[in-house]
Amino acid sequence: MLKKELETTSFLARINIKDKEKEKYLADINAMLNYIKILQEPDVKNLKPTTHVTKIRNVWREDIVKPCPRDVIRQMLDMAPEKEKTFYKIKKVISTE
Amino acid sequence: MIRVKELKVKICSSEKKSIDVVKACFNRIKKVEPKIKAFLKLNEENSLKQAEKIDNLNIKKGLLEGIPIGIKDNIMVKGESMTSASKYLYNYISPYDATVIEKLKSAGAIFIGRTNMDEFAMGGSTETSAYQKTANPWNVEFIPGGSSGGSAAAVSAGMVPFALGSDTGGSIRQPASFCGIVGYKPSYGLISRYGACALASSFDQIGTLSKTVIDSALLTSVIAGKDYRDPVCQPNDWIDYTYDLDSSSVCALRTIKLGIPKQFRDYKTDFEIAKYFNDAVNKLELECSQIIEIDVPAYKYVPALYKVIMCAEVSANIATFDGIRYGYRSPNGKDLNDEYAKSRTESLGDEVKKRILFGTYVLEAKNYHKYYNKAQKVRTLLINQLTDAYKKCDFIFTPATLQMPVRFGNVLPEECDIFLIAANLAGLPGITVPCSFTSSGMPMGVHFMGPRFSDQKLFKMASAFEKISNFNIDKYPIL
Repeated sequence: MLKKELETTSFLARINIKDKEKEKYLADINAMLNYIKILQEPDVKNLKPTTHVTKIRNVWREDIVKPCPRDVIRQMLDMAPEKEKTFYKIKKVISTE
Repeated sequence: MIRVKELKVKICSSEKKSIDVVKACFNRIKKVEPKIKAFLKLNEENSLKQAEKIDNLNIKKGLLEGIPIGIKDNIMVKGESMTSASKYLYNYISPYDATVIEKLKSAGAIFIGRTNMDEFAMGGSTETSAYQKTANPWNVEFIPGGSSGGSAAAVSAGMVPFALGSDTGGSIRQPASFCGIVGYKPSYGLISRYGACALASSFDQIGTLSKTVIDSALLTSVIAGKDYRDPVCQPNDWIDYTYDLDSSSVCALRTIKLGIPKQFRDYKTDFEIAKYFNDAVNKLELECSQIIEIDVPAYKYVPALYKVIMCAEVSANIATFDGIRYGYRSPNGKDLNDEYAKSRTESLGDEVKKRILFGTYVLEAKNYHKYYNKAQKVRTLLINQLTDAYKKCDFIFTPATLQMPVRFGNVLPEECDIFLIAANLAGLPGITVPCSFTSSGMPMGVHFMGPRFSDQKLFKMASAFEKISNFNIDKYPIL
């Protein structure tokens, strides 16, 4: 991983890294990348990737809204850092400038 | 502290009062907790109230009526805090019960406290907790293991008879082994994870920590079973996992074939762990029908494989912590993106950030095939080889860990938990059972791993081993 790649990745992950921390993160992540090189060794081109050990498949169902108990709704909203009535309040998404 | 199985009989027949059991737990906690720091929160008042209520019942029909239990701080109990040992969830109050908690409540269990863990279960030493370090009860200068280190230390120090943990890459079984108790991770899909804080969803399972195998089996009988809210949870019939564990299990070994992976020799193993493991093999050789060597070459890919897939899943799961709906929100955000980033940066620990960054990197379009997809294919290779191995043996038998616990601040080698992690990668059940004390006075354990959904048979195997090993489970650390 290059410094530039770390900057892109940290933006994608929404994690800020200070300039003086960059070297440390780069060293750690490059050590991890070096460690996983061993995975290039086995011949697995004929194998299917495993995402899950269960043999579940997608099934369709009607999209029916089940009522949520009022006290649960209240508790969930009470935990919001900022809210207005029954809405979560966030910073402006679209800039007007 | 006596065993849960005996406790249950005595409380149900009113020979013993639940309130006395709960009081005994809190007395022990008051004495040893200042040195161990296993709990993030204790519910003394509520626990005593609940115990009194249960003592006044005429008929006690729950499977765990009046029995205290410790809960890892990543499992939701309605109305109680859940931090996952992270600053991000510093003020989170669970709005509902996890399925396992619903089941424990209807069985009559009493939740006496929330146990410490690595932040979001990321770590193997409980040192990454944002709140406190937990000590190993056998030597307080050493780590208890992790991530369920609080649960393991609490049970081992006799503060609570048993506890719930979660296991993504050995997170129940490694600390259980380091603390000299039994740790069990069920087959993937046996126990619902609804209401548990996710780490890596294709590996995560809730499991048990206890002094004896039968107590873990009893707890599993209560919490296992189908749940429509966890789609991977399988529709199995209710099983009494304690059935037949008491009596005939040593004889049952006569038909068991154990496999020891040849790859075990490729790793540097602590001298004493190797010695006591060999003793255990010799003892089992007299009882089991056969002990054979099996070949699973893909074991060598396990730590790398785990690292890639776990971090990738972490980066996706932790994306939900954005400071919008709950948890920490930075007061310094300029716009929405800045607010996301600052809320995460200011509240998450270094280990968590490192895993998110690594996981994000291996999932980026240009790296996806090289790293993530490749790891998923190697995972298939491992699963195929393990499936072949189980054609030749019933269980794979290894030491639980290859090294003993280290002092705080020291790092264990990547390969230490390799035999535990394989169970998560392949969705198999695994159980660690204490085997011996080493010359340092610290315990070491062994690990049995069975085919998927062989959990009942696995308990029998572990229980039989417990009977023939010399490990004194009645010995408690002096604190």
